[in-house]
Parts: sequence; structure tokens; C-alpha cells
Amino acid sequence: MAATLCGKLLTKTGWLHPQTQCVRHMAKAVTRHRRPLHIIKQKLMAVTEYIPPKRLAVGAYPPDNLKVEVESSLVLLLKTEVKKVFQDCKMIAVVQNNASTSEDMLTLRHRLRKHGLTVKFFPNQVMRSFLMDSKFCNMSSLFLGPMVLIVSKQGKVKEMLSALRASPQMVLLGACIDDTLLSAQGVQRYSKLPSVTVLQGELVSGLTLLTSRTASLLQHHPAHLAALLGQHAKQLEAPIAATVEPGEGAVGSP
Amino acid sequence: MISLLKHTVSCWRTQGPHGCIQSHMKILFAGITNYDVPPDYRDVVLPDKPKLKFLNKVPNFKKAKKEAKKLRDIQGPAQAATTFTTGSFAIVALGGGYIHSGHIEMIRLTINRKMDVRTTFARWRINAPYKPITRKGLGQRMGGGKGAIDHYVTPVRCGRLVVEVGGRVELGEVGPILTEVAKKLPFPAKVVSRESLAAMQAAQAEMEHNNQNPWTFREVARGNMLGIRKVLSPFDLHNHGRYTGKFYLPGRV
Repeated sequence: MAATLCGKLLTKTGWLHPQTQCVRHMAKAVTRHRRPLHIIKQKLMAVTEYIPPKRLAVGAYPPDNLKVEVESSLVLLLKTEVKKVFQDCKMIAVVQNNASTSEDMLTLRHRLRKHGLTVKFFPNQVMRSFLMDSKFCNMSSLFLGPMVLIVSKQGKVKEMLSALRASPQMVLLGACIDDTLLSAQGVQRYSKLPSVTVLQGELVSGLTLLTSRTASLLQHHPAHLAALLGQHAKQLEAPIAATVEPGEGAVGSP
Repeated sequence: MISLLKHTVSCWRTQGPHGCIQSHMKILFAGITNYDVPPDYRDVVLPDKPKLKFLNKVPNFKKAKKEAKKLRDIQGPAQAATTFTTGSFAIVALGGGYIHSGHIEMIRLTINRKMDVRTTFARWRINAPYKPITRKGLGQRMGGGKGAIDHYVTPVRCGRLVVEVGGRVELGEVGPILTEVAKKLPFPAKVVSRESLAAMQAAQAEMEHNNQNPWTFREVARGNMLGIRKVLSPFDLHNHGRYTGKFYLPGRV
């Protein structure tokens, strides 16, 4: 009990209990000369001296916390490689690697390799320092944790998605295809799009169909052509008449 | 004259007209000087009697009483007469001490003699000597009670204005007179103007505000840390170690 009490009382070090402390009561008014100070008071005066604030001219010295980051040659080399990848490749997919074993990775690489896709590993720091200076700086938020790049010179998105479907430990986070940033859903939708050549062919065929039909129409007999045009003019007038007089149209139709 | 002409001609030959003119021409130009605006003395009113008046050497008591030494009346900072009233320059005490009639006469005669009465006035900020000092007579044996009153003094604490000067004057005119007086006082004293006194007080306040030392005398003494009040005087609780007796310790907070 006593020990706990003492412990409570003496928790503030440097502070004494009021009953144990002793205070000088009478002032010694010897003021004709300087009284020699008590050694403890001398120490107190030395401890409590005025310390002026530091005043430096603004910009005279660099701040203490400024660290000049000198990038090592390895980092510079890796950065050049990353730069090369971003220059050459059409598709760069960012995939999170969730504890996949080396065997899984090997099979995935093998599967991707068939279609000319490669897997690249870069340190996140290097990636971030590269991305900060480049136009892809919005991608830098993706690079947290174990990240893998899947790159290809041709944008083979479908093949990549089918390969990734087989390995669930690799999660697609986003991709940069043709200098366009896409989310995972965006990549899925992109993969469903037909190829550009197919679309171009469809467009060309549609355009040529119209012109060929018009040409065949014009090659018919002139009387047939006039009848067709007259029928077309009637068809154009009919909806207008129907809107003006709906009652007549209803009676006359049966 | 002929030699100068010769030199000019030779110079003309060697350097051409421009070099010759430049080497011998003094360019005189009119400068522009900005004079300071003189201080505005329109609201200064000189009193009827501008000089320092005579202070009695001995107070006019019916029955003079001997007093104890009471050295505390010069201890610590002054409470009265620390600010200006009518004047603009003053002698301020930077320590405690006793002024006796000799000092008072010295101040009065010096200032009255040297100041210009038409533009300047001076005022006392101390009282006439009122504290009796006793001495035993010469060759007297010790004992036999307290001695007779020898003379009277005026106690002055640190920071008190002793004498104040004002009027249509600047510090450059009255400063030397006041400095001469301040040197002869029995305590450290210096000449201040209204502005410099305010600047001194502001500097002290700024020091207290911007002190980078986390340990201050005030906190340590008030909190009685490590029982330090055993060696501190009760006056230290009020003065925070800036005074020891009658002495002022400058540069402390």
C-alpha cells in the first residue's frame, strides 16, 4: 500500500511533496554589493538563460531536411528499359500478382508466349519515378504491391484475357492500349469489339450496296421507274394525310 | 600657362579632340538633397518656470525620526515614475541607489546652466531627500545607541526616471548634457527618449515572447522544481531572476 502511495506521489520527477520541501522565507536584503549566488541558483541562472530564435536570411542556406536524391545507375538502366517498353508496345496491362507460385507463373508465361505476349517485372519505385515524369502519370496509382506488366507489340487483348482466366491468382487492374488508359471492365469491353479491318469492310460493303442498288434502279425501264417514284411520293404523303384526318382514314381503310 | 597650352596642343595631337576634352574637363553638376522634415513643436507648451527647481536638502519635519536601513527601498524594479509625463527625454536609472543632496545639486546646476531656457524645460521625477541616514560623530566610541541624523537621501529603484527634459529640442541638443549628468549618478543610468524607452520595453517583451529556451526562471521558481526555492529569494518569484538586490541583470527573461 505504502509502496503504491509513494509511487503515485513520486511519479512526477523533479517535484517534491509540499511537506518535504523547504522554502527560503526571509529575503536577505544585502543589496549594496552583489551577493554571491548559491551554486544551485547559479546553475538555475545558467539553465534559464535567454536563447534567441535562429534568424537566417531566406534562401541563404538550404533547409536541413532537403535530401538530394541521386538515382543509382541500376535505377537509370531500369528506367530506360521501362521507357523502351512504353515506346514499343501497343498494349501494356497491369496485373496484380497474388502469391502465384513459380510454376503458375511459368505456365502463364508459356501460354502468353504463344501469342507473342511477354511478362515484365519492374520495381514499383522505378515505375512510379518513370510515370511521374511521363504522360502516363495517371497509371502510377496502380503500382502498389506486387505488380506485373504484360506487354505486347500487337494489342492481343483477347488472348491475354483468355490466358489470365486460367490463372485466377493474377488480377487484371487496368491497361494502356494505344495510349489510352482502360480499366479492367474497359479491357473486357475492348476485347469484345470486332477488329478494325472487319469494321472497315462492313462500312465499305454498306456504302457499295447503296450505290449498286441505285445504279440497278436507274438501269430499269423509265415507265417502271416513274411508277416506283410515284408510289414513293404517295407513301411520303400518306402519313401526313393520316395525321390530318384520322377519321376518314379509319372509315376508308376497310 | 604656356606649358598648359603646350600640353593641350600635344594632347590634341595624340588623342584627338574628345580624349583631350575628357581628360581636362571638370563636370559640375547640381545635386538634390532631401532634408528631413523638422519635428512639429506646435503642441509644445513651455511652463512658466522651465528650470529645475531647488529641492530641500532636509525635509521640514517637526520631529525628525531615525529610520532603519531598509535597503529594500532600492531593491528590484521601480513602481513609480517609470513613464514620461510632459517631457520627451529623460535619465533612467538602470540600478537602484540613493541620491543625496549633492547629486541633486549637481543635476540641477548642470542642467539649468547648459540648457536653453527659451526652448527647453526640465522637470524632476524624484522627490526631495526624505530618508534619514545616521552617522556617529568622528572619534566617538562605539555603543551608546544609534547616531544622529547626518543627511537625507532619496532612494531610486531601477527603471525610474530621475529628471525629464522637454520642449522644442531634439535629443542631439540635450543628450550630451543628460549623459554628462547620468555618468555622475551613484547607479548606472542612461539617457532615453520616449521612443527609445518604448523600444526597450518592446525588446524585453519580444525576448520573453520569442525565448527558445523551454526552461524559464519563472516556471522553475513558481513550480519549486527540485525544491529550488530553498535557495531562491521571495523576490525572485516576482522578479524572475532579473534583479539581484539593487542590481539589474540585463538580457534575462
